[in-house]
Amino acid sequence: MDKKVIGLNLEHYDKALCGSIVGAASLFLPYAAKDGTSLSLAKTALSLPGEGKLTFFVCVVWVLVLTGVLSAICAIYSRFRTGVGSVKLCRNLQAINTLSFTLMLFVSKYVLTESGLLSGFLNRNLSFGYYLGLIASYFTLIRFMKTTKTDRGYILLTILGVIWLFPVLWILLTALRKEQGYYVGYFFPHALTFQNFVELFSHPSVLPFGRWWLNTVIVAVSACVVNTLIVLGTAYVLSRTRFAGRKPFMNILMIIGMFPGFMSLIAVYNILKGLGLNQSLMALIVVGAAGAAMGYHVTKGFFDTFPKALDEAAIIDGANRFQIFLHVILPLSKSIIVYTVLGTFLGAWSYYIFPSMLFGDKQSSYTAAVGLFWLTDMRRIETYYTQFAAGAVVVAVPIVILFIWLQQFYVDGLSGSVKG
Amino acid sequence: MKNPLERKRNFITIFTKGGLPSKLSYLIMGLMHLVSGQVIKGCLFLAVEIAYIAYMVTSGIDRIRNLITLGDNVQGMVFNEAVGIYEVQQGDNSMLILLFGVVTLVISLAFIAMWLVSIFSGEDARSRKAAGKHVRTFAEDIRSLLNDKVHLAFLAIPVAGLSIFTLTPLIYMILMAFTNYDSEHQPPGNLFDWVGLENFRTLLSTSDRLSATFWPVLGWTFIWGIFATFSCYFGGMFLAIVINSKGIKYKKFWRTIFVTIMAIPSFISLKVVGTMLGERGIINVLLQQWGFTDHALPFLTNTDWARVTVIIVNFWIGVPVTMLMVSGILMNIPGELYESAKIDGASPFKMFTKITFPYMWFITTPYVISNLIGNFNNFNAIYFLTGGAPNSLDYFKGAGKTDLLVTWLYKLTKDSNDYNLAASIGIIIFVISATFTLITFQRSKAVKNEEGFQ
Repeated sequence: MDKKVIGLNLEHYDKALCGSIVGAASLFLPYAAKDGTSLSLAKTALSLPGEGKLTFFVCVVWVLVLTGVLSAICAIYSRFRTGVGSVKLCRNLQAINTLSFTLMLFVSKYVLTESGLLSGFLNRNLSFGYYLGLIASYFTLIRFMKTTKTDRGYILLTILGVIWLFPVLWILLTALRKEQGYYVGYFFPHALTFQNFVELFSHPSVLPFGRWWLNTVIVAVSACVVNTLIVLGTAYVLSRTRFAGRKPFMNILMIIGMFPGFMSLIAVYNILKGLGLNQSLMALIVVGAAGAAMGYHVTKGFFDTFPKALDEAAIIDGANRFQIFLHVILPLSKSIIVYTVLGTFLGAWSYYIFPSMLFGDKQSSYTAAVGLFWLTDMRRIETYYTQFAAGAVVVAVPIVILFIWLQQFYVDGLSGSVKG
Repeated sequence: MKNPLERKRNFITIFTKGGLPSKLSYLIMGLMHLVSGQVIKGCLFLAVEIAYIAYMVTSGIDRIRNLITLGDNVQGMVFNEAVGIYEVQQGDNSMLILLFGVVTLVISLAFIAMWLVSIFSGEDARSRKAAGKHVRTFAEDIRSLLNDKVHLAFLAIPVAGLSIFTLTPLIYMILMAFTNYDSEHQPPGNLFDWVGLENFRTLLSTSDRLSATFWPVLGWTFIWGIFATFSCYFGGMFLAIVINSKGIKYKKFWRTIFVTIMAIPSFISLKVVGTMLGERGIINVLLQQWGFTDHALPFLTNTDWARVTVIIVNFWIGVPVTMLMVSGILMNIPGELYESAKIDGASPFKMFTKITFPYMWFITTPYVISNLIGNFNNFNAIYFLTGGAPNSLDYFKGAGKTDLLVTWLYKLTKDSNDYNLAASIGIIIFVISATFTLITFQRSKAVKNEEGFQ
């Protein structure tokens, strides 16, 4: 096309036009074929009943046919009367058309078998007319987006977003589901309720979830404070001071860190028993703090980027090393502190192996992770699945809150908090 | 001694050149401090020595000696001649003997460190006094913990914690790899003993059931590690590029969508996805309702399906993490590079292979390698999703087709109590990790040059 219109990239227009015409034509080609009967999308749309429980799915078919035809007409019209508005209209029509074409993959079976048009339909019975239409619709949409200078990334992000949120949505819906049970044969619950959340907290003798939740908060908060202090202290000393044995110490830490951690859990358990700490929350905090120093790497790397002049200036002003740590380094390290705190906090909520070994059957000191996992045991999962999902949501709440609250410190990112 | 610029003495010359107190301080800790006027410090060192000797005499030496045999007396019935009946005799508990032996060893190591410190700090006090300088008082020593000795103050707790809860257990488990502490030698009923390298030999080289499990599991661990790492790496990079490209509006919104799953602890989301993929799980139900298939798909029950499934699910969990990390780096790539490439008529694909990827790869190589090691040891992804299933009859007790070395290790300790095998596998994992880490360290300038930015 030789025309020029500001805001449009018309070199892709002709291809888009061809695509939309092919798409419209494919509506009249065989869409589904089984045992000798074949149906085109247009014919299906016309022969579907207008009311009944099918409504939503029938609408998809109607919208598909309608937008397919309209998009082609609009494209032909814009070929002669080209303008930003009309091409954008084409694009939007085509987007709806593409969406409904994609949806047909999921609703065809339901629509065709429920309306009695084709019994025993499976997606492998879809005919070439459908696939031609599907490919043409995506092709056309991409060309229209190129014409209107819209980023094609939206298509991809939409598809990926749906896939990524699918399990999250499932957890949420299960948590709100009124019908109990593990396996149900549908995605959307028949009835919604908050009862699952109430149940979690209302039977402390059978299912002490409140206690578990509180235990985890205690462990997570103390771990945050203690571990973060230890990590910061270790990283500071290893990064900003020089002393005999510094390098060997770092090497030893690295070597220790390369052994799989739970190899030695049995021994840790026995040592804790010897110290009289077993089956208590204290043990969890102590063991966590004992190993915290091994996570010094990122923080040390961060401290390494501070200029030496910073310390030297403070020393001239008469500050000792401890004061430098407290008054110079820490105020500059907000983002790394946030990073450490978040990591520790998240870790405390999802730490499972060691606590489960430590607490054994002492339910009152379970953390939320151990408790929730206990609920998914073969014997309990059928009864407690919805509560388990509700518990998962409750566990996610403090993490999300911390995430949002800490985000304000995190904006600067990890790079370059000291300039020059 | 007259010369204040006298060379600093080392461990040997402190003894050879020193006077009688110096020489004696090798035997009596803190003596040099007492002579030089640091009374409190000297007494503390002396107290440590007395405590250690008392411990060794009362129980320590026995414990070390027991390490050699790991116990002789099996629990059982013994004829008591005095009374004339059989009595239950409490046998030795090899496990506790080993543990106490290791604890004693670690205590001795700590004592040796203390001993060295006392010698050197005593020498320091002596040379200061000899040179006529001020000898630090105890209060000054305490105060120096906040300044030039700040590393002692800051590292004391981590070092103590690591020695008690990491180092001791680790030595204990490493030693266990050289014993026969398996399901048939369980204390307190039975003793176990040293067997040398026997465990490694059965694992690695014989045609035993064990090595027939070990090699396939190791192979799968590598395949898994490579696929899991690189799928997430490229997937996350791709997603970050798409979200960060100029034409996309509402970047925060899109990022939030993908980051949402990080708010749910991974063991929960893995467990849930595991149930969703079951035979009667929601995914199979929906696939049948949607008409994609007329029978349930064996996502987690067929070996090949299960292996592909765990990699895909790990992709789902791992991509947002990589995306967040990569986003920051992407924004640092100078925009002019892209501008000039565009003017030269480079396609987006070309720009990726010639600008984005080389830049990324240069910065993130250490991250990728450590991620690879992390994935070899990715316990959560396998254990909570499949638990190692589908199990196989060809494999040693309980190991399954999706088991990694770590999950197998865990099963060996938890389910079948074959601690010796678990410990041997742990050592093998260590060797693999160490090899990869060494490669990274050789390649990475960032690690070598820690003062590069100062």
